[in-house]
Amino acid sequence: QHGRVKIKSTAQQEEEKRKEREKKLKIYVAARDACFSKRKEGIWDDEALQLTQQLLSSNPDFATLWNYRREILMHLETVKDEDEVQKIYEAELSFLESCLKVNPKSYGSWHHRGWVSARLPRPDWARELSLCDRCLSLDDRNFHCWDYRRMVVKMSGVPVDQELAFTDRLIGSNFSNYSSWHYRSTLLPLLHPESPEPPSPCRKSPQTSPPPSPQTHSHRVCEEQLLKEYELSAWFYYRWLLGRAEREEMISCVYVSRDEERVAVAFSRPVNAQSVGLLLVLDGQPQRVEWRSVHPRFKHSPICDLPPGTISDITNEHNLTVHWTEKHTHRDCALYTGRTESYCRDSATDQELFRSELSVEKTSVLQSELQSCNQLQELEPLNKWCLLTIILLMRALDPLGYEKETLDHFQTLKEVDSMRSAYYSDLCSKFMIENTILKMEYAEVRVFSISDKNLTTLCHLDQLLLVTHISLSSNQLQQLPPQFAMLQCLEVLEADNNCIGNLEGLYHLPKLEEVYLKNNKISSLADLQPLASCPKLKRLDLRGNPVTQTANIGSELAELLPSVTDLLL
Amino acid sequence: MGTQVKDVIIKPDAPSSLFLDKHADYIAAYGSKKDDYEYTLSEYLRMSGIYWGLTVMDLMGQLPRMNREEIIDFIKSCQHECGGISASIGHDPHLLYTLSAVQILCLYDSVDAIDVDKVVEYVKGLQQEDGSFAGDKWGEIDTRFSFCAVATLALLGKMDKINVDKAVEFVLTCMNFDGGFGCRPGSESHAGQIYCCTGFLSLTGQLHQVNADLLGWWLCERQLPSGGLNGRPEKLPDVCYSWWVLASLKIIGRIHWIDKAKLRTFILACQDEETGGFADRPGDMVDPFHTLFGVAGLSLLGDEQIKPVNPVLCMPEDVLQRIGLQPDLLS
Ligand SMILES: [Zn+2]
Repeated sequence: QHGRVKIKSTAQQEEEKRKEREKKLKIYVAARDACFSKRKEGIWDDEALQLTQQLLSSNPDFATLWNYRREILMHLETVKDEDEVQKIYEAELSFLESCLKVNPKSYGSWHHRGWVSARLPRPDWARELSLCDRCLSLDDRNFHCWDYRRMVVKMSGVPVDQELAFTDRLIGSNFSNYSSWHYRSTLLPLLHPESPEPPSPCRKSPQTSPPPSPQTHSHRVCEEQLLKEYELSAWFYYRWLLGRAEREEMISCVYVSRDEERVAVAFSRPVNAQSVGLLLVLDGQPQRVEWRSVHPRFKHSPICDLPPGTISDITNEHNLTVHWTEKHTHRDCALYTGRTESYCRDSATDQELFRSELSVEKTSVLQSELQSCNQLQELEPLNKWCLLTIILLMRALDPLGYEKETLDHFQTLKEVDSMRSAYYSDLCSKFMIENTILKMEYAEVRVFSISDKNLTTLCHLDQLLLVTHISLSSNQLQQLPPQFAMLQCLEVLEADNNCIGNLEGLYHLPKLEEVYLKNNKISSLADLQPLASCPKLKRLDLRGNPVTQTANIGSELAELLPSVTDLLL
Repeated sequence: MGTQVKDVIIKPDAPSSLFLDKHADYIAAYGSKKDDYEYTLSEYLRMSGIYWGLTVMDLMGQLPRMNREEIIDFIKSCQHECGGISASIGHDPHLLYTLSAVQILCLYDSVDAIDVDKVVEYVKGLQQEDGSFAGDKWGEIDTRFSFCAVATLALLGKMDKINVDKAVEFVLTCMNFDGGFGCRPGSESHAGQIYCCTGFLSLTGQLHQVNADLLGWWLCERQLPSGGLNGRPEKLPDVCYSWWVLASLKIIGRIHWIDKAKLRTFILACQDEETGGFADRPGDMVDPFHTLFGVAGLSLLGDEQIKPVNPVLCMPEDVLQRIGLQPDLLS
């Protein structure tokens, strides 16, 4: 069904073709029916092998016929001696080879080959590996063959470094071979569990020297190579190499509020609030609490309410521990006398917080990579892969120091690769939010202000659990997503001059009092519905929104939001 | 040794408006060519073929033109003793066709036409120790089959009958360095497989396990200058991959990362103005498979002449609403 070009033909040619197809159809149907009836009668003979062979050579996707052949072969195993079985299976392998020559992308043929190889009394894995070599030399992207190769490698214990050398050879003959880069990404962690290979797209050919360590790599930029070619595969791989550091899974913040008698938990990575296995211990006593998510459409931020009266007395001190049983980790939090709330979280300026894209321990390596990329960028100022890589390297090295350059590069990226400008806008928004969080943490405040930064999306809201004032005015936001319900301490929201039409995330925010939404795209009362779940809402500015044109808007809103005393329309 | 960007050029006279009536006629006529050689050759996937045809007809509001009774009878006669359903009569049951059959019966609101409990037993029986699913009793393992299994059970409201945690664990072992997924652990990422795996994680409520920014980047990089999307780097664009990539982006909440207008232009150019139907690329032969994915793609892009399609199950949203199934999507 793929790649069949439509050809115009005359009526006479059509008629000839029709007759030929009719003839072929008769032969095909006769063979098919013969196979089916023999199988129904339980006949497992040579004729059946021949009939199925005839059909499968032209139609290898006819899965039932492979099944029939397997039944026959399994039967023959029980009646023939080992040498005969070996011969039968070898014949099957050569039949399969001819099938694969005609149709190298048939799931059925490859699966059958694996099945036969596994049953062969004396398997010849070296031959299978060389079959893969030949097949990949014809099409180095055939993923069926790559998968078969991985099976052969596993079954016959081919050493990892030998396979790595194989990918070197393939990349040497075709630098843009995504399949080979992919294979490397699965082999390298086996060979060097800790230290990744140095980045590669700036090198002309893969190393011929022994596997490198982080200290021994070179940063030769091959302008010639990169100017001529579009090293797409390599750049994907490069981004991965730079970013192999994974963040540890842990509880990043525990917050407790005396007024609401509520505990909220944030994690370093998204985890499912319901299934995560959290245990709350209060003053040494495990509590029977029900963990739920802050929003029905955002399940990764658990909160729970304590039984009424448990911590409401301000003259009492309490010690809480949240245990994440699944990960054998926990976090303590003390609520002192006279305090209405308390929290415990990761050290504020944790360098690792937002650098999960790139691993930080290799700073000197990254520094010289950045130099190489900058040199390349001078030669090729509009190479988008290079620009994006520079941005990522700058973020890993000094996100605040490089903020201006980063913004400039994003601007260029949006121009040279306009099809993906929304991706770049979102990525840029993410980085600006990360920088703002870093600045907020350095200043040790609970105010998050990011106005006039062309934000198109909100992220990392789980990091804003403690924020009381947020200012998002004059950006390009279209929604306050469900994750916004994470902001359990939020009192004031400023979001004037955006394109917001969706307030889904303003959901059960217990402390929210003031909401400024001047000049947005809120068009109906239904859009405002989520606000009705915020019990303390007093002040609401909706000036410049289409919704203000609704008939009886004042009285409708008074009904929907009875707590609001100060309404600006 | 250098590589050019592989792509197609859309000719100025390529179709640029949507010929829904022609497509409906094409699909309605397709099933009547039962004595055709090519039609007979594709018997091994007949059940999926019917699903493609019926779904695209339903999306175009033309389902009543198809022969409901005949199709339901056909499905009944394809259910086997083991509970599994085959592509056609005389063929062996397989998860691929079991899902197609259940999807068809959902379109027709008649799942009770088959023995549902036995279907559930069949699916359950194909789950392996490691959580993966074999496509049938011959043991081929593929994340496509993990998707078929959970999609079938979700449509039947019986997800609790399998070990979902194990199934999730297996699919996650197929996640790659680029955020995508392959057929088995270690297999290269591929848009069709990514569709199956993100769909699987949606149905099992585990989408938070996806690195949506990384995967979304890989997916939006599938868009070529012609506007069409390919299924892997350095491959040609194709209407069916356009659907798989687009649906995956929709599932992980990143559909705005591609240029929708350009993709629409590409999909429309793959229509055959004479015969109706969509081809994989402009100028190629049409088939029901690409016709479904062309129309479904246009639906996801917001074309209002077509019913809204669900990105996870590739079925009309109104059908899923009737069943009460709403798979998760990231925002
Ligand atoms: Zn296709």
